[in-house]
Order: sequence, then C-alpha cells, then structure tokens
Amino acid sequence: MENIEKKMREEARRLLEEKRVDVLIGYEAGTLPLTATPCFITAPEEAERLVWNRFCNHNLAKYVHDVISQHRNSQKRVKPEDRKKKVVGVVARGCTTRSIVIHLQERQYGRDEVVIIGVPCTGYADRRKVSQALGGEAVLEGALEGDVIRAVTEGGEKKIAVADVLADNCRTCRFNNPIISDVMAGEAAPPMNPEAEYDEVTAFENLPIEERWAYFVKEMGKCIRCYACRQACPSCYCPVCFVEQSRPAWVGISDDPSDTQVFQIMRLYHMVGRCVDCGSCVSVCPMGVDLRKFLKKLDKDAFELFQNRAGSSLEDLPPLSRHRENDNEDFIYHPEIGGHNT
Amino acid sequence: MSENEAWEPKIVAIVCNWCTYAGADLAGISRIQYPPNVRIIRTPCTGRINPFYIVKALQQGADGVLVSGCHPGECHYLTGNLSARRKFAMLKRFLNYLGLEADRTIFTWVSASEGERFANVIRGVTEKVRKLGPATKLVKSL
Repeated sequence: MENIEKKMREEARRLLEEKRVDVLIGYEAGTLPLTATPCFITAPEEAERLVWNRFCNHNLAKYVHDVISQHRNSQKRVKPEDRKKKVVGVVARGCTTRSIVIHLQERQYGRDEVVIIGVPCTGYADRRKVSQALGGEAVLEGALEGDVIRAVTEGGEKKIAVADVLADNCRTCRFNNPIISDVMAGEAAPPMNPEAEYDEVTAFENLPIEERWAYFVKEMGKCIRCYACRQACPSCYCPVCFVEQSRPAWVGISDDPSDTQVFQIMRLYHMVGRCVDCGSCVSVCPMGVDLRKFLKKLDKDAFELFQNRAGSSLEDLPPLSRHRENDNEDFIYHPEIGGHNT
Repeated sequence: MSENEAWEPKIVAIVCNWCTYAGADLAGISRIQYPPNVRIIRTPCTGRINPFYIVKALQQGADGVLVSGCHPGECHYLTGNLSARRKFAMLKRFLNYLGLEADRTIFTWVSASEGERFANVIRGVTEKVRKLGPATKLVKSL
C-alpha cells in the first residue's frame, strides 16, 4: 500500500507538472485520526498531500462530475471561441472507474476531459465497524500498521485487523482493479470474493413476503430523508432531482411512512444498471439504513435478465438504454393461461 | 370505506393510445362486458410511462396497477414497448422483492383488434386483485 501511495504521488506530480490536468482529485489525511477526505490539488508540490490507505472510502467520480459540470456552466458566459476545456485528474480504484464509465456512457463528459490514475484496491475499512470494534469510543490517536489498525481511545489502546472491519461491498467486490485508466499506480490487486456477491440477496428473496415487507418498512422507518445518499452517489447527478420537483410533486413531504418509502423505492429504482456498489450511500447514511440489500437486488436482476454489470465495460451500454427483441417476457400476463409464463 | 363487503378492487390501467386504448374502445363498441373496476389512463406509448406512475398509483390507494401496450414489434413508435418491457421487468421483480404482492402490478399486451382479450385481461386482473384484498402496503393514509 505504501508503494502504491508513492507511485500515485509521483504520477500525480508528473501530471500536474506536464500540465496534463488542471485539477487533480485524490484523498488526503482527514482532520480526525483514522479518516481520509477528498482533496483537490492544482500544483505539483501539493502531490505530497495525497494519501492512499484503508480509509479512502469516497467515490471520487462524484467530484469529477461536479467539477466538470460546474466548469461547463461557468463557460456558458464565455464567447464560444474563447471557451476552455478543463481536464480533471482523478485517483480511482475499481468502483470509481466504473462510475466514470457510467458517466462516459451517459455522455456527461468526454474521455479526454478526465485523466485516471488507477489504483489497485483491496477494500476499505467501514467506519461503523471500526467504531463498533472500539465500543463506540472516540479515537484519540490512530495509525495503520500494515493490515492492522492501531487506535488509542480513552479506554486504552486497541488493535483491529483490517480484514475484520472491511466494508461489506468490498468483501465481495468483483472489480477491485480499475476498469479503465491512463496510468496505473501499482500492480493489479488479487481478487476479492465475488462468488458470494449475491448471497445476502438470495437469502432475502427466500424469506416469506410479509417478512420482506416488514424488513423494508423497518429499514425505511429509520430514514430521515436527509438525502445524503443522493448527495454522495456518483450516479445521482440530475440538475433537478425528482424529490425537489414540484410540478408534479412526485414525492409527498409529509411524515407519512409511505412518502419515505416511495422516495426510497424511486431512488433505488433509478440505480438500475447504474449502481456500482461503491458503498458511498451506505457509508454516508447517518441512520445506517441497509440500502445495499436493495441495491444489490437490482444488480442481480440486471445481470440475470440483461447480462449487464453496471459500468463494467465502455461498450456494454446500461440495460435500460437499450433493448433486444427477444428480451425476457416471463412477467407478462396472459389471460388465456390466467397468469404468467413463470 | 366501511367493511369488506362494500369493497370493490380499484385498478388503475395505464395503457398506450395506439393499441390497448383502441382495444378497449373495440371492447366497448362490440358491447363486451367487463368489470367496471378499472380506471383507464391513456398515454402515448408504454415507453412514455415512468415507473414512478405505478409506484405513485399504489401509494395513492390503487389496489392494482395494470400496464398494457402494443405487442412487441407492433409499437407505433417502433421500439417504445421494448424499452418499457425492460423497465417493467426490473420494476416488477423489485417491488416483489420489497414485499409488495406480484399480482398488484400486472403487465400485458393488447392490440387494437383484441377487444375480447382486453375484456379477458380486465376480468383476470380484477379477480387476482380481489383475491389479494384491499391494498395496505405503501398506501398513504389521507
């Protein structure tokens, strides 16, 4: 991991020195121990600020989109012949590159507007699991020693193995190495455990329908509709989100549980073929709603029905932006047989 | 609503202008009887139907939602129903996964010449929804 960090800084410095990028988005050490935070650097000497460790959990593709779209908006006031392009460099692991692939497929920006420093990834630590392992105590001091997190709290010093606090989405990650990259910082990382990817979904599918609904109601009951999941999601970039539209007002603003449920159903459904399982929404959720259980189902169905894995290749378009004549029709109702084919 | 004896299923049928709406017309012109539980909403094409319409209808108290359009290959806009098919395949599975009964959201094809089929679809769907009883999940209490 130290080697990757060194190589990443070198590449970042070189890109900025050669002026191949206007801004580079990466991670820097957070203000609290055992955290990392996104950072934007524009000068080569700032490359030393960059870090790469187990706490880099953000999906930086979100910021790539933000920076480019903001820049484009600002260019609207400039005469067409004087308009400038802004090239964004980004430190990206597997899921971040998948989000970038989705942006490219959805024509949000051009491939020439983004320079990707690919980093092989072996998963990040889930802050909730770390906090749980520490009994909820505040971390006064902390450091990573290889694959062990050393944390000092008021109760004393504790050592936690990274493997025990790895985020759920990282454990079963299929694409931990970048899908696309311009430069790579380090060798490809060993695969995680993608065979177990849908175990949780399959188990949930097999529950009785009333239990599934009860679980959904329980989880959505926690939601306070702060929309942090939407803010953190790289696939949520609509200029005006449906929850804020008032004509028609898609989602009610009352405290009726169904309003929250409808909001969540629609936000989740918007992720069909667009969720890369980066865990951003889960990690930012202040209430700990189990969003992944529902998002993973969409991923599973998109693969079963349309053989698509979101953002896994530039050529493979998102499942809802194309169709085939012989797509699965098992769900269609036929009155002659009084039901569906299946 | 007082009690179950007074309860009749309320079904929202979102149909396309070119096939199913014309099919419903034909059923009417041919004087084919079908249950009056259905409220028809005409849209230009099934591809026009935002899956949100379905979720929203369920929230607003519909006991069932039927979506029907042209048979694949017969779309007035060539491929509107093919992209709709993908959307609804995902939506139906997803709603069922969350715990909403599969029979509350029904998708089918009815062409402009199939008045009899339209009546059969409505009969079938009404029966299915009647068996399930009034919708309770996701319904907004007004």
